[in-house]
Amino acid sequence: MSEVHRRKYSQEERSVIFDGEFMPHIDSMYNFAFRLTFDEDDAKDLVQETYMKAFRFINSFEQGTNAKAWLFRILKNSFINDYRKKSKKPVTVDYQEVETFYNSDDVDYQSTSDLRAESVKDMLGDEISNALNDLAVDFRTVIILADLEGFTYEEMAKILDIPIGTLRSRLHRARNLLKDKLKGYAQSMGYGRDEEEN
Amino acid sequence: MPNLWDMAGTKKRTKRLAMKNKDASSPERKLQCSDVSKCFQLLERILDGELVEGGKEMLQEKLDKCQPCFAHFHLEQAIREVLKNKCTKQPLPDKLAESIRQMIQDAR
Repeated sequence: MSEVHRRKYSQEERSVIFDGEFMPHIDSMYNFAFRLTFDEDDAKDLVQETYMKAFRFINSFEQGTNAKAWLFRILKNSFINDYRKKSKKPVTVDYQEVETFYNSDDVDYQSTSDLRAESVKDMLGDEISNALNDLAVDFRTVIILADLEGFTYEEMAKILDIPIGTLRSRLHRARNLLKDKLKGYAQSMGYGRDEEEN
Repeated sequence: MPNLWDMAGTKKRTKRLAMKNKDASSPERKLQCSDVSKCFQLLERILDGELVEGGKEMLQEKLDKCQPCFAHFHLEQAIREVLKNKCTKQPLPDKLAESIRQMIQDAR
């Protein structure tokens, strides 16, 4: 927190901020929560909890700053603190997967170089959604923040509490992993195989 | 991997080039990128709207002159578009907004 003495919002101001700056992001918040938990009830609880915290700590929100990023940060921290612990799904990063990608720089492009824009455009939606859901949570999160929600690198670094360089490379790895999964789908759709091109 | 679309284009361009002799400002794209790793990361940053200074010119240069960069840029663009269109529509449960407003009311 900055050293500036924070003013306290009046009850009326709090309502204005909550309704005007926080509530409009509820769809994005729920979508994020659902893609983290894969469960409607958990996602609902997570969103509710986030809004409760946002209300409780509203004085530490500076009016006019990015409310959506502020809310996403609370949601992501709540998820880490509560849901990751009790989740039965393995949410830790698949290290073999990571290692492969961290240790290869140019090699990783070869694996996806035959995935083409046309085949991605032909995907119905389930494939891309499944590919995204298949990613380890840290990689999934950066794709959601960047591509679904359009946050800037700086905003994402703040939401995730990581340096911008780490963010940049994590996003790049995440994109490569996603392309790799999409390539699998594209192949099963009949794209990208020599013998099927005519 | 041989790509018929490219090969047809290359053929046409080669023929034209042969007729016109050598043209310095030829739209010919090279088929190998000398530094995919650097180029692709750069393209991704431009797509993310993060690289401003000289980004536009650099992008145009890559798209005009390098086939792997051209293909990668369009692939990345397509993925972003599909993600945005297909993965943001999780329907909000009934009454979630209402119940949050109620909780806030009660907490006051």
